[in-house]
Amino acid sequence: MHLNIRDTRSIVISVMILAGIGTLMVYSSTALMSMRSNGSGFYYLGKHLFTVCVGAIVMVTLSKADYQKFRPLVYVLLAVSLILLVLVFMPGIGISANGARRWLRLWPTTFQPSELVKVVMVIFLADYMDKNIQRMREFRYGIMIPVGVMLVFQAIIILQPDFGAVMSLGILTAGLLILGGARLSHIGALLLLSLPAVYVLIMSSPYRAKRFMCFLDPWKEPFGCGFQLVQSFIAFGSGNIFGLGLGGSKQKLYFLPEAHTDFIFSLIGEELGLAGALLVLGIFVWLFIKGVQVSTRTKDPFSYFLTLGLTMMIGVQAVINFAVSTGLMPTKGLPLPFISYGGSALLINMASVGILINISTRNEKRAMESGAYADNLLRRSPYMKRRK
Amino acid sequence: MAGRKKQKPEIRKLWDEDPKEIPFKKSRKRAVVLNTIIFFGFAVILLRLVDLMILSHEKLSERAEQQYIREKVLEPQRGVIWDRQMREMATNVEADSLYGVPSKMKDTRNLSRDLAPLVHVSSKQLNMRLLKKKRKDFIWIDRKMDMETARDIRMLLDKLGYGALGLVPESRRFYPKGRTASHILGFTDIDNKGIAGIELMYNEYLKGEVRNVSIGTDARGNRLSSDIKDAVSGNNLLLTIDEGIQYIVERELSNAMTEWKSKAAVAVMMDPGTGEILAMANMPAYNPNHAGKSRDYARRNRAITDLYEPGSTLKTVLAAAALEEEVVELDEEFDVSKGYIVVGGKAIRDVHPHEVITFQEVIQKSSNVGAVQIGLKLGEEKYYSYLRSFGFGEKTGIDFPGEVRGILRQIKDWSGTSLAALSIGQEIGVTPLQLLRAYAAIANDGVLMKPYIVSDIISPQGDVVKRVAPKRERRVVSVDTAETVRDILKMVVEEGGTAQRAYIRGNLVAGKTGTAQIFDPETGRYSRDKYVSSFVGFVPADNPRIALIVVVYEAEGSAYGGVVAAPVFKKIIEDTFAYLDIPMERDENRIILVSKPR
Repeated sequence: MHLNIRDTRSIVISVMILAGIGTLMVYSSTALMSMRSNGSGFYYLGKHLFTVCVGAIVMVTLSKADYQKFRPLVYVLLAVSLILLVLVFMPGIGISANGARRWLRLWPTTFQPSELVKVVMVIFLADYMDKNIQRMREFRYGIMIPVGVMLVFQAIIILQPDFGAVMSLGILTAGLLILGGARLSHIGALLLLSLPAVYVLIMSSPYRAKRFMCFLDPWKEPFGCGFQLVQSFIAFGSGNIFGLGLGGSKQKLYFLPEAHTDFIFSLIGEELGLAGALLVLGIFVWLFIKGVQVSTRTKDPFSYFLTLGLTMMIGVQAVINFAVSTGLMPTKGLPLPFISYGGSALLINMASVGILINISTRNEKRAMESGAYADNLLRRSPYMKRRK
Repeated sequence: MAGRKKQKPEIRKLWDEDPKEIPFKKSRKRAVVLNTIIFFGFAVILLRLVDLMILSHEKLSERAEQQYIREKVLEPQRGVIWDRQMREMATNVEADSLYGVPSKMKDTRNLSRDLAPLVHVSSKQLNMRLLKKKRKDFIWIDRKMDMETARDIRMLLDKLGYGALGLVPESRRFYPKGRTASHILGFTDIDNKGIAGIELMYNEYLKGEVRNVSIGTDARGNRLSSDIKDAVSGNNLLLTIDEGIQYIVERELSNAMTEWKSKAAVAVMMDPGTGEILAMANMPAYNPNHAGKSRDYARRNRAITDLYEPGSTLKTVLAAAALEEEVVELDEEFDVSKGYIVVGGKAIRDVHPHEVITFQEVIQKSSNVGAVQIGLKLGEEKYYSYLRSFGFGEKTGIDFPGEVRGILRQIKDWSGTSLAALSIGQEIGVTPLQLLRAYAAIANDGVLMKPYIVSDIISPQGDVVKRVAPKRERRVVSVDTAETVRDILKMVVEEGGTAQRAYIRGNLVAGKTGTAQIFDPETGRYSRDKYVSSFVGFVPADNPRIALIVVVYEAEGSAYGGVVAAPVFKKIIEDTFAYLDIPMERDENRIILVSKPR
């Protein structure tokens, strides 16, 4: 019991710390920009805090009700997210910015359906793989149907276009299918087959091709397409061990584009130094471990897949974001969970944590009821133990 | 490995018990692998962070500094030019300049079309220029625009956005009095560098010091550091010019220009005791605020840069020399009844025939024949040395650019007629300022002064950097001689003189008329209908405080200095007296002063 309660508490505290750091950094990175364009330094902070509050309410709500009861709603969710994705293309409802149509007008803010799709896909796959757990080795059930669903979403999202969301959806689906027991050879073949597709996708758009080339050598054009990455490096490099101090960033002075969203980690590095960056990294690792631990204590495959899926979703997004801002992966618009400014992702991630907490507390309860919580380490689940 | 082997039977058992468990169990193994990959990802990030933040720290933070700190050149404020009563003659105003970033321009055609009318060029020209500088990150499009244009540009920029175009405020030279004193002040180029007049002469003092500073800026170039010292402003100048007098002189010259339809006119007023220039006017004039739009002809400061033959006005110098050398008596009689005199095979004539006249009357009536006789009595050597001594053929040394030395040939280059010609003011080229200075020496009891325009150089803090003291060049004639000549010159404006139109009741004017034919370099002889009419003198005659020369070039209708220039002289003096609040009574003529500031 002791350990279990600590799991839930750890998750809650981790998310709270991350959201706290995020709020601070969002304020630090936007104050000046906001002052210049909106007359008040608190414009972005206000919006961000609003989303955090809404996210907290959603998180708490989702952590209370029994997630198992809502399981049949997964098809509704699928349909809703599909509709929302399509609605983005409707003039008046959809909003385009920077040549992309990714957002829905949602008073008082906007919403990005592609963020919702990620979590819906996780829920759907958890449900699907639980139902078909015996047939996952078959190509039809293990690959064709789930990948088909994924492709439908991807096809719509690529039209927006949101290459980052397509990639993360693909990685997430592949990961979950591996967990679900699909044949590795199938998945491997699929990945191999998708490589040319990815290549074509990148090279078909000169803007993506250029971005990719610049990722390979940002210093070649430090004032051209390599600008953002070079500025990100400069931010990290300026940070050293303890950083320039909160609010001391120079890179946020319009040098580093997207300093409050996708590249907020660079700003953390600059202002809080390696110490601060490692703290954030550590919390994510800690959160990830806790999520995995929760998954090991789940009783049924659905909860298990769901927990691991959500945990991996957050973990993978964090890793990709870190990798992008440190120049290890090509740039694509993925925010850092809980920290970046940007309502939809924050909301969705907090909702996901809500579900995680839900599963965790239910496990704890059940464990207490059954009394089988003496030895629950990473490699053994209470389920296994009871069977024994 | 040992642990795994031990577990193996367990799995077998599970398989038997619940087939659903097999994939589930396998999934956990796979989860371990996947999670390890993610952990591995985190670890790689960690290494990368150490690489970027610790190992590359120096290189990257240096680069951060480089882009954050910008070297900027702060332009100084140019010094102000004041008249002698500290009225602003030249100052600075802020004006917007429009720059372009051609590298950021997408549609230069449309941009040029919108912009061209506002910056007064054709849209085609502008487009060509933008295309030519396509790769540049900065070009000036129009600088120091007037307020209306800047406002229109601002409205256009609000519409187009600020990326490719922008406005920066610059300091522009401004002459609040417009044409007044334009020839003295000169003007500056677009970069506030003096290129004419006092602006050029004192550019080193006026320009101030450019300051190169490092300023913390954001990526958009906004200044973030607040403790930046401004550039050092230039020194201010205090002129000897009095704006009020300058205005009067210019107005009267302008009136005379209209009345006589003359080509040009010059007047210079000087304090004979100090050499201070009180006014120096040229017509035609120009507006230094738009110097580029004026013609060269209008920008000439003829008082200093142009030569003319002084004609009869030079007879005063001859008289002074003759008296000083005692080759003549004041009442000595000269027979000029023939009306001409032949020297070196050439006849020199009088304009009006006279009988036998005294030495004084030769000057008063401006008899050429008499003057030649005096010249012959004086002799070449002596006359030449006096001319030299009075400052002809040399620069006056006034603090103004472009001064010419004048033409006074050495005796060895003289011809047989030269002495006679020089006696009546020919074969010599003088500037109006040179002649005025010579008269001022007579007014100043025989002491030649160096003329000057700037009296004080004052630092931006108000300290006097340099004060110019009046400079005595040399004594040219004795006090007595000077007084005698003054008395003779008084007669010129009296009954029987050539310049009765310069007569002023009360304050006696002493002066001399001059009417010289213009030497036409094309034909090689004196023009028949082009004259330079002049009057030069000083007031009050007994205690002179003001010396003034008026030169009118190519007047139509009359050529005589006494008719054309003398009335202008009179009007200027009268109005100047009124302006200076000097009572015009003979009894009080000793009080006349031009007030000094402070």
